[in-house]
Amino acid sequence: MAERTYPTTLARPALSLLTLNRLLLAAAFVILGSLFVVYVIYAANLIQFPFDYDQGEGFELVDTIMFSQGQWPYQDTNTFPFYSSNYPPLFHVIAAPFAAVFGPAYWYGRLLGFLGTLVTASAIGLAVYRDGGHRGIAVLSGLAFLASNTIYHIGPLFRQHMTMVMFETLAVVILCHVNTLDDPRRRRRLLLTGLALIMAAGYTKQLAIGTAVAAFVYLFIGQPRRAILWGLGFAAVGIGIFLWIDVSTNGQWWLQTIAANVNDYYPDQTFGLFRLWFGLHGFLLIPAALYALYELYFDRLSIYTIWFVAAVGISLLSGKWGAGDSYFATSIAAMSILSGLFAARTLNRGWRFPENYISRVFRPLRAVGPAVAAAGLVIVPLLYIGYGRAVWHMPTDGPIFGPLAQILNIEANALNGFYDSAGRVAGGYADIGHLTTPTDSANGWQIVERVRAADGLVLSEEAAFNLLAGKPVITNPTQLLNLANNGQFDSSGLIAMIEAQEFSLIIMRAQFYPVDVLQAIARAYEQVETIPMNGFAYLLLQPRS
Amino acid sequence: MTNKILTFIKIIRAASGQPLSKRQLGLLLVIVGVVGFTGIIGIDVIDVGREGGIGPAQQIALGGMILLALVGLTLIPLGDTPA
Repeated sequence: MAERTYPTTLARPALSLLTLNRLLLAAAFVILGSLFVVYVIYAANLIQFPFDYDQGEGFELVDTIMFSQGQWPYQDTNTFPFYSSNYPPLFHVIAAPFAAVFGPAYWYGRLLGFLGTLVTASAIGLAVYRDGGHRGIAVLSGLAFLASNTIYHIGPLFRQHMTMVMFETLAVVILCHVNTLDDPRRRRRLLLTGLALIMAAGYTKQLAIGTAVAAFVYLFIGQPRRAILWGLGFAAVGIGIFLWIDVSTNGQWWLQTIAANVNDYYPDQTFGLFRLWFGLHGFLLIPAALYALYELYFDRLSIYTIWFVAAVGISLLSGKWGAGDSYFATSIAAMSILSGLFAARTLNRGWRFPENYISRVFRPLRAVGPAVAAAGLVIVPLLYIGYGRAVWHMPTDGPIFGPLAQILNIEANALNGFYDSAGRVAGGYADIGHLTTPTDSANGWQIVERVRAADGLVLSEEAAFNLLAGKPVITNPTQLLNLANNGQFDSSGLIAMIEAQEFSLIIMRAQFYPVDVLQAIARAYEQVETIPMNGFAYLLLQPRS
Repeated sequence: MTNKILTFIKIIRAASGQPLSKRQLGLLLVIVGVVGFTGIIGIDVIDVGREGGIGPAQQIALGGMILLALVGLTLIPLGDTPA
């Protein structure tokens, strides 16, 4: 029996409706294009800023420098200099040649992160164009990704997260049609490339496990035997690399990146971040979810839908101590693709509803099909306009942004004259997105001068000051705290040095050291100066007399 | 008996080379949901030394397993349509 379908192919819509559609799409381009300009300004500002902007960036720079010198950053934290890293190596390995040529600096890591987001946005646009066939929506989908507050916040940081998202996105875009390819050689080539990119994502940051699961579920649905065979090969390579690093670092790799990452879980932080995620991205999350449901019940499941579900699932880990809104970045990439496919299919009138028990329930609604299709021409661009309004962020002063803020009736709600619809990120510790000022840089150099003037070792909670002053970096506070929380850090060596006042200067910002280390510092040192930088008070402590 | 096992293996081998149908995917989701739910509950039964009963992370995971099984149930009537 031939399959009955209920297409929404209709007569050409009225010219006035098409004109309205084009005008609204143009408005959406202006809004999301403006947010892209803000993103470029923010990236340019951060790339020039020579100090930590987000807590912990400096230690990623230290990892990079160590790789450029042929050393693993996974070291024993119980002995001097009490330093280790909890991140996989790939991002730092990619940045290492820059460290070898240009020395310790933040600009190349931030530039790599920023360029990675542009590659991701392009891949999103390509995916939407290839499967949706609508050039304008493809561009809007890429811009929507970059416009997200989350992507904006972390894109141009010296952090590995967005490079992971880039590898993940490239992988799913490459693997997208691999289940239905007839040419076995091409299929093998695409499988190899896609899975290699997932491996790269996993060795950039551990969270890529969700994308790996999504890819193999997709392959399993297409052909279980193939999925199992390739899965075995993938696991063998992944485990082989893991064991090689673990043996090379005398077990520190396992301890620092796996055992130390089992942190306390705060459900309220997860719920807060989910509310924020939905509040900011709801305009596109709803069409993305509708498209996923459509594929589930009326079409074949694409890798994008499975990836979206896996990425939302992995976001549940955002309640871990140390996690934050960055855990939603992959889901935002998947959302951008699915919502783009939803929009393109609506504008191209490509919906088909094969006969099944669900389409039978909605059969009486067929009469309103033409009206719904016509409304889609207006609703789709309005979704992107609404999204642009929801994620809006911009500086509120300066010759261009000042008057614009007045016209839009926007007031600064973040540091240094900046409006961010995300506000302060719920439940997390990140307070980023604003631009840095010349005063911030001047104050940072003031701290560097204090480090240079110090006679001996300096214990700084951020690495930049020591690196720029040419002094050794001692400890990675958050990693020591991770280890201490898991009973894996013997603080006696560090505390003995503190009690013996072997550090001539201690610089504190977030006070992320383990409690017993903070108590030792309080006993042996006293605060002598406070220097503000980038919205934080840097406390300078010297030995008590 | 041996013949039956070989026939079963042949069926599995042949089936594993085909795309899953919506019904098969639905059944798989129901099985994963039920087994997952039982396993998560089982943590408290096996590890009797744990305190605080079913924790918040466990509650989220249990909710996920129930959702998975329910979605699976809705897919079963869709029959042999490719998943």
